Amino acid sequence: MELNIKFMGETLLKVLAGIPTTLEITVITLVVAGPLAFLFAIARAENKKVAGRLITAYVSFIRGTPVILQILFLYSLLPSLLNFLVKDVLGLDYNVFNWNPVIYAYTVFIINNLAVLTEVFRSALATVHQGQLEAGLSVGMTKGQTYWKIIIPQALVSALPNLCNTTVNLLKSTSLAYMMGVKEITSIARTAAAYGYNYIEAYLDIFFVYLVLCTIVQLLFRLIEKKMSAYKQLLAG
Amino acid sequence: MLEIRNIHKSFGGNQVLKGVDIKVEKGDVVVILGPSGSGKTTLLRCINFLEKADSGSLDFDDIHTEFKSASRKTINKIRKKTAFVFQNYNLFQNKTALQNVMEGLVTARKVPREEAEKIAKEALDKVGLAERYDYYPSQLSGGQQQRVGIARAIAVKPEVILFDEPTSALDPELIGEVLNVMKALAKEGVTMVVVTHEMSFAHDVANRVVFMEGGVVVEEGTPRQIFQSPREERTAQFLHRINRDYDYSI
Repeated sequence: MELNIKFMGETLLKVLAGIPTTLEITVITLVVAGPLAFLFAIARAENKKVAGRLITAYVSFIRGTPVILQILFLYSLLPSLLNFLVKDVLGLDYNVFNWNPVIYAYTVFIINNLAVLTEVFRSALATVHQGQLEAGLSVGMTKGQTYWKIIIPQALVSALPNLCNTTVNLLKSTSLAYMMGVKEITSIARTAAAYGYNYIEAYLDIFFVYLVLCTIVQLLFRLIEKKMSAYKQLLAG
Repeated sequence: MLEIRNIHKSFGGNQVLKGVDIKVEKGDVVVILGPSGSGKTTLLRCINFLEKADSGSLDFDDIHTEFKSASRKTINKIRKKTAFVFQNYNLFQNKTALQNVMEGLVTARKVPREEAEKIAKEALDKVGLAERYDYYPSQLSGGQQQRVGIARAIAVKPEVILFDEPTSALDPELIGEVLNVMKALAKEGVTMVVVTHEMSFAHDVANRVVFMEGGVVVEEGTPRQIFQSPREERTAQFLHRINRDYDYSI
């Protein structure tokens, strides 16, 4: 067996065009799910009743089912459901099947990572000592002000390692978006490979691309961590 | 100025405060003594609503409220009239010494940043930390951290400062620097309620000593009365034991 080096080179260039989509899915998911997850984590910590329980149920439901199943299910359900809503309920003459499938990718990954990040932030909030809240209250700040100025910044710092983990996992799992017809790294490679059956070459290409992307993400997080946890370093003066 | 009547508090089935009354006048230095588990700390935390008492009432200047039914607004008002110094300092870990002191001014009281910085620097200077404005808590010794804690409390110009065993977490060597700051505040006429095991402080600085045990006030009076001629047998026992264990040469 011989590798088709020329094909590998050409495909690598094609695949690079998929990077923006991959990054878009990753970033938009984090930007939408992140703050919401923080709210969920706080609600879970502060409200042991209805809201807290609903969130707990949501988190265990999402974590208890495979991502691939969530994709298959939502991708089967959502388009038809939207079509039904637009055509039969609203009575509009509008074809939802023309929409860019990337919105379904956003939906699945946001739903999924909202659960993951809620857990990440819940454990991060637990690392902040209860005394920090009491100190805030004792100087006359409200609970909200204390969360915003004192607790959340500290929780964010301790969440960083897990946040990095989540981001890397998310970036890798966006490869599953090919199942929804999204033209990202993996789907471009598969399409290219299908013509001449050069799957090994195409997969080697994207191995490399994902590895580089994930390494960059990890380096970025390491930098942020270093910068943000400056207050933790003992420089006794 | 501050009066608490018949305060009760239980944790689960464990009754910690069984009807305590306490009155603090302006300029008072009230020291609360008592063995562990006597409810001293809980009493202090209830005044500041860090714990919610089960029953009892509180009068603070013109505010009157039942502990149980206090509104969020009233609680915030009372918290703004008081300040709390914690046993384990509880400095904001992500803020420098200066920012720690400024936070209550800027965020809670909406004092302009520049003015807040000036007040905060004065407070830190007063506790002898003029050289440590930009240090994070993790870079300070326990005694220095507690002094920042005190600066944070005085900066908001509260009517009363509540001290919860401010020296209990400190090395013996560092206790002195914190007690000296507290003594200086007492001299200035700052109103304080202090839970402590430092008998010398109670003896030298307090103008009233309250002895608590088992969730009730056993006895209260001037330091002279309590230390030299306690009326209650239990008070005498406690002081005797303390004095035998540690010679504070009162």
